[in-house]
This record gives sequence, C-alpha cells and structure tokens, in this order.
Amino acid sequence: MAMSLEEVEAAIIAKANKSPKPQLYIKDFYKCDSERKPREIKNIANKLVTKGELMFWSSGSTTMYARPDRIKNEEGDSGVN
Amino acid sequence: MGYDPKNPMEGRITDLGPHPYTDMMPPVIMANKGKWDYHEIVAPGVLLHVGDSGDTCYTVRIGSPRLISIEHVREMCDIADAHCEGFMRFTTRNNAEFMADSKEKCDALIEDLKSRGTKFPIGGTGACVTNIVHTQGWVHCHTPATDASGPVKCVMDDLFEYFGSMSLPAQVRIALACCLNMCGAVHASDIAILGIHRKPPMIDHKRITGVCELPLAVASCPLGAVKPAKTEVDGKEIKTVKVNAERCMFCGNCYTMCPAMPLADPEGDGIAILVGGKVSNRISAPKFSKLIIPFLPNTPPRWPEVTEVIRRILEVYAKDARKYERIGEWAERISWEKFFEKCDIPFTDKSIDDYRLAYDTWHTTAQFKYTNATDAYTK
Amino acid sequence: MPKHDTPMLDELEKGPWPSFVSDLKRQAETHDECWDILGQMEMSYRDKITHWKHGGIVGVFGYGGGIVGRYSDMPKEFPGVEHFHTVRVAQPSGMYYSTKNLRDLMDLWGKYGSGMTNFHGSTGDLIFLGCRTEALEPLFWDLTHDLKQDLGGSGSNLRTPSCCLGESRCEWSCYDTQDICYALTMHYQDEVHRPAFPYKFKFKFSGCANDCVAAIARSDFAVIGTWKDDIQMDQAAVKEYMAGNYPSNAGAHADGDWGAFDIQKEVIDLCPTECMWMEGDELKIDNSECTRCMHCINVMPRALRPGKEKGATICIGAKAPILDGAQFATLVIPFAKVSKDNNYENIIDYIELIWDWWMEVGKNRERVGETIQRIGLPTFLSVMEVDPIPQHVREPRSNPYIFWKEEEVPGGWERDVDEFRRKHAA
Repeated sequence: MAMSLEEVEAAIIAKANKSPKPQLYIKDFYKCDSERKPREIKNIANKLVTKGELMFWSSGSTTMYARPDRIKNEEGDSGVN
Repeated sequence: MGYDPKNPMEGRITDLGPHPYTDMMPPVIMANKGKWDYHEIVAPGVLLHVGDSGDTCYTVRIGSPRLISIEHVREMCDIADAHCEGFMRFTTRNNAEFMADSKEKCDALIEDLKSRGTKFPIGGTGACVTNIVHTQGWVHCHTPATDASGPVKCVMDDLFEYFGSMSLPAQVRIALACCLNMCGAVHASDIAILGIHRKPPMIDHKRITGVCELPLAVASCPLGAVKPAKTEVDGKEIKTVKVNAERCMFCGNCYTMCPAMPLADPEGDGIAILVGGKVSNRISAPKFSKLIIPFLPNTPPRWPEVTEVIRRILEVYAKDARKYERIGEWAERISWEKFFEKCDIPFTDKSIDDYRLAYDTWHTTAQFKYTNATDAYTK
Repeated sequence: MPKHDTPMLDELEKGPWPSFVSDLKRQAETHDECWDILGQMEMSYRDKITHWKHGGIVGVFGYGGGIVGRYSDMPKEFPGVEHFHTVRVAQPSGMYYSTKNLRDLMDLWGKYGSGMTNFHGSTGDLIFLGCRTEALEPLFWDLTHDLKQDLGGSGSNLRTPSCCLGESRCEWSCYDTQDICYALTMHYQDEVHRPAFPYKFKFKFSGCANDCVAAIARSDFAVIGTWKDDIQMDQAAVKEYMAGNYPSNAGAHADGDWGAFDIQKEVIDLCPTECMWMEGDELKIDNSECTRCMHCINVMPRALRPGKEKGATICIGAKAPILDGAQFATLVIPFAKVSKDNNYENIIDYIELIWDWWMEVGKNRERVGETIQRIGLPTFLSVMEVDPIPQHVREPRSNPYIFWKEEEVPGGWERDVDEFRRKHAA
C-alpha cells in the first residue's frame, strides 16, 4: 500500500524527532517513503517548513532541516524569524 | 498596509522572481537587440556598438569597488538620468556601464564622470587590467584568511595605469577569494589572490556542547580529520571532537558548522598567489590558475608584498608575451621553469602537487629548459 | 563625527582607485551603523583576523535561501553591526537597471538596512549587506509588494541563474541569453527559494565561447553559445583590416606598440586548428575543421561573424576546488537549439534528467561534477540519454580497466567450474 501524504509527513517528523543528529539533510528523509521520488519528498519536507513543523538551517552553501525545538544556536539567533 | 508580525502569512507574496529584464534596458538597446552589426573600443573604457539600422550605442565603462553605498548608487542614478535616459547596467566583473545613443551625449557623460573626483574611473576594456572580482573578506565573512576590499583597492591603486589603457598583450583578469572555499571562484584567473589559513581549528571545549551538533562537526570535514572525542571540563566528562592536524587542509568548513572550532589566526593566515588561469575558449582551452607563491603575510592596510609581486609578474608578462597571449599561454610557451626565473619567484615544494590526481602535473619527459633553478647541477 | 578612529583604514582613502572607505564614511552620515562597520573592520586590520560569526537559521519564512546569517563577535563595541545579515536580491537578466528601480531598491535598503551593498555578489545577485533579523520580514514584504521583486538563492538551492548580456548589446551572442535566463529562473522559482538538492546547483548562460559569465568554470549547467554552419565572412571588410582601416580586435590593443596588423601572424597562425589561409587576397576557412574558439571573430569583428544556424553547447559539472580540486564543465551536449519557440523544453528536459539522477545518487554536499567523477562519465552519459562520442573526451583512456557489464559479454558471467575442470586439471 502506498503511503498517504499524511503518513509521509508523520514519518518525516518522526525521523526529525528521533534522529541522533537534530539537523538533517534532505537525503536523510528519502527513506521515509522510498516509493516516492526524491523531488516529492523534498516538496513534502519544504511544505512542513511552512507549517512550522520543520525549520531550515543554512551554512550559506548547504541547507539542512530540523525540528524547531531541537536546533542549537549561537546566542545571536533568536530561533524565530 | 505593511508587514504584520502578528499575521506573518497574511497577504504574503512569494516566488515573484527577478524584475523582468525587458523593463530595464535603455531604448537604444531595446530597439537593436539581436540586430547589432559590429562594435569597436573607441577609447579605453568607451565602446561603440553599431546596429544594422545604423543606430549607435556608446558605452562608458567605469570601475567600482563593488562594496558601494546607497549614496554611491544614487549618484550613478543621477548620472544615468542626466545622460542615459534613466538606465545603466553592471558587468560580471563589478564594473558599471552607462550607455548613450550619440557621440555628443557620450562626451557630456565622460565629462560629467571625470568631474566627480576618483569615484568613477573610466577603463576596463580590451588589453587591460580590468576590475578585480572578489569576495567579502573582513567586511562581512566569518571564515576569511584575509581581507578582500582592502587588498583589491591596493592592487588596483598600484595597477591603475593598466585599468585606463590597453597596452598589455591581452586582457589580464585578476580575482581575489578570501579563503579556499573560493566564493570568488578564482580558480580560472590570470592572477588569483587567495586567502589561506595555516593553523588547524582550535576547539572550545567549554562552548562546544552548547553550540554544536558533534556529528555535524565530524561530518563537515572533507578529509575526515575531525573525530568524536571526550574531555574534561570543570571536572565533568563531556563529549567533544578532536582534530587530526596532519590531515587538515585548512578549509574552515568545520567552523561554519560548529562555531566552537575557530581557525583564523593573525600569523597563520595570509595570501597565496596563483597565475595562468583563463575562462575563455579563445585559442586555447580554459585553464586553471597555478600556485606559484604559497604564502605572503597579511600586511594591512596596504599589503605591499602582494602589490609588488603582482606588478612584477605583470611587467615581465607585458614585456615578454606575444600579442593575444594570456598569462597562462605565455607561461606554457616559455615553460613554467622560465616563468619562475623571469619573474624572479623562488620555487618551493609547495608548488608541487601532493593532493589528489597530483601526478597530472608532474614532469614526465626528458625535455626541459636550463634556468637558474638547475644551476646546482650545471655550474 | 567619527565614532571610531580608523587610522589604518584611512590609508585606503589614498590612491586613484575609488575608495570603499571614503564611501562608507559618506554613508555613515545617514546610517550610523556604517561607523561600526568601519570600527570593526579597523579592529580586523589591527588584529589581522575577522570579527564575524555565522548564523544558520535566519531567513524569511518558508524560504530556505536568499538570506545568509551574520553576527558580530564584538557586539558591545559595535552595536550597529550586532546583526549583519546578507540579503540576496535576484538581479535582472544582463544586470540592466532602470534608475527608477535602482532608486526604489536604495530607498528600501536605506529604510531597513546598513546602506551598504554589493553590485553584485559572486553568484550574480544584488547584495544588501547588513540587515537586522527583525527587519528581514518587513524588508521582504516591501520588496515583494511594492517593488514586485524577489530574493535569490543560497544553500542547497538552485542558485540565481545568471547570463552575459547576450544579444542585447553583443553581435556574437548565439542565442538570447537574457530570455532563457529569465524564463528558467521563473520556471524554477520553487527550486531557487527552497532547498531541493544535495548541494548548490548553478545555471550560467554565455552567448559565445568567450564565455563572459564564466559558465564553463563556475556553473553546474553551462550553456555556451555556438553555431553549426560556416562562419559568416565579408571579404571586403577583411581587406579593410589588412589595409589597416579597421582596428584589429575592435581596438583592444590600441595602446600597445604592436606594429601594423598582420593577418597571417595574428589570425591565421594563431588559429588553434590551422583551418585558415589566404588565397590571393581572399581569406579562406575550412569550416569543417573549425572548433569555434572565437579568436578570428574577436580580431576582425567587422569581417567575421558566427554562423547563421545558432544554438549552444552544454557542458556540465564545473566547480571551485573544494573538495576534489577545481573542475571545468565537461562537454555533454555538443549542440542544442535554444529557442523561446518551444519554451526551452529541450533544455529543461536535460536539466531534469540531471536533477532526477543527482538527487538520487549524489552524496550530501557533493556537486554534480563530483558525482559524475565518482560514478563515471559513461554512466552519466547514459543518464543523459546520449550516446558516447569522441567529443566527450580529450583523448581515449590509457588504462584498460573497463567496467564491463555482464550483458555486454556473450554467455554472461555465470559459468560452470566443474565443466571447466573436466578440460583443465587442477
């Protein structure tokens, strides 16, 4: 049975909660539903950012995803934008 | 109505993209796009484009420090409004260009530019040293090994005569990147000024737990030199990382991922010089710049060691190279051993590649030239 | 009144090249934070070290790119630069601006930021340098609502595509670089603003092999104009060059003491394929040998022009040295039509073949050029659905270590060792 969109979202959030590293690359989410193409997973993860379930962390050259409550910051970053 | 922090999604617009280019071009460009017949550089910094229609477009190119204020941009707007029907453009090498559709307007434009002190130098065309492509350095970057705007200013001051003239064998493209991540992509420039670190990162064990995800710091190292470790802070064992200094290539990627691993250092940091790269496919294929000076110290505010060696290379090249020959083509024709001798640059083991694919650059022939470097064998 | 003494930076007000220090001081009259830029920079000049820290999570909501976080590590001394984030604004194709738009942009930046900019950043965006976190959303609101403009890319996004000025002011451009750059930037807005890939991905569009936008050195997907028929020639104009009536190389060497123009020495002998010669007073070209390097056309722009059947060569995988060393882009598609008549569908097809493969097999923080190196050009060519041709290599390989596939060998790889032993004693 193919996973529903809600199931994939839940799997991505669970992965972001459980992973030993709080910040994840998009590739780390591919296995949340291996039947979907990477681009679909990417779109779902980016949608979760607009829902406030994930947030972006960027080195400037790379971008990663994290649950908002798991991200570590320099004191300058307030954690909200 | 403006942004309402209480309802950030209310009325939000996204994915508009850049302003359509069709609204941004002067009338003479719009009218002749795709229908230009030929062009000429009528004076250093002044281009004439002639359309099939007979229309003319005079372009005046000026240098810019790239790091410019809104006041500076507004002054350029004043100039464009006065002479260019309210349009201007920028080049891929940080120059600015004003376009006028007649010789009279062009002359008035040039006079106006010249009346404004040193702000708008005219040049950057043909066989010249044009503006230096560069990065942010100490004005904005968190991993630089040198400044960018300062050394650029010093080199352009020193080579100013070559910006406003066209006396060199070919164009000379100089670029500066303030660390080896090379946001400025200096790897294919005639002369590249490259900031380099020479000390591995320090580890701030007291702060690392608070600001870093250790697995990310470990994974950030391109060469696997960062490993998980344990240490004691205030009598308590904590998880941290250690750095295998012998494997460190001084890139600073770990510092970007982990602010508790600073690597910049006043003595460790400085500038390497690379030469002989090019992007254009003209005559010979694109070439990478080659490392000829592994380290020059940072000597703000005027970086005399850097400006001196660049002028020296440029002057030897100007005298020795054939018309149309880029620095890399010249060095290959005369041989790199002659390049070092003629430019009076000491050759060191640091110019011999010992990274990956190094063998590609070794000398696998019995053909070579005798230079001062072989004296030990022949004299 | 200066807030900080800057004796070292003051040295950079001397000399003929325009001084960013003088400019910062001018801007400081209305933007006090410019004094703190100068103050912190003076400290860097004294200490020979940077005083900036990276910040990873600042951005505008929902976008994973366009803002790069930056903080001072001396905020008490220099409160004006405590937050100093970079804002990347997508540039118009060819970097043309109306003064109306520039003034609007400057007014916007004067209202929300430090007053300092870069025209332009390395990727091509217009850069606003130095924004506080709380000003980012209001700035973005005004940028989109009032100026109808948008941010560019950063991080693992499609970076803001860029192009040379192309046909707008260059007779050599073999396609409309501005139009495809704009069209694909609009087509891929989602990829520009939200991370999509293992690492950054760049398109660059150059109208000819002179490659003024450095596509072959700096982009993952380099579209470089070329043609497939004969160089257009005007023999009368050739004679004008030979007579010294037209300036060679469009006047680019006017200040050098190079003597009279010599077509043999300057054009024919420098042709990399030796495919040109004089027959009487006529210039001849064996176009079948030409590699379209642009040298002869550059030298005699009024006599020679690119052919009429124009398009582009697509080279893939350039990058700066981190990590395995610098790479130029590798020729993959020798010739492709680049035309708005099909909305660039053929180019989009190539792009998406690369993306679908690279998103799957590319490692984290691996540029596509490195993925191609790691997995091999033959595999990549099959991904691109193109047959291998000699043009894909500079020379054939010199080692015989071929990764044969089982289906390429008659009988396959499954063999019976007992059968073998019946004829070969152990």
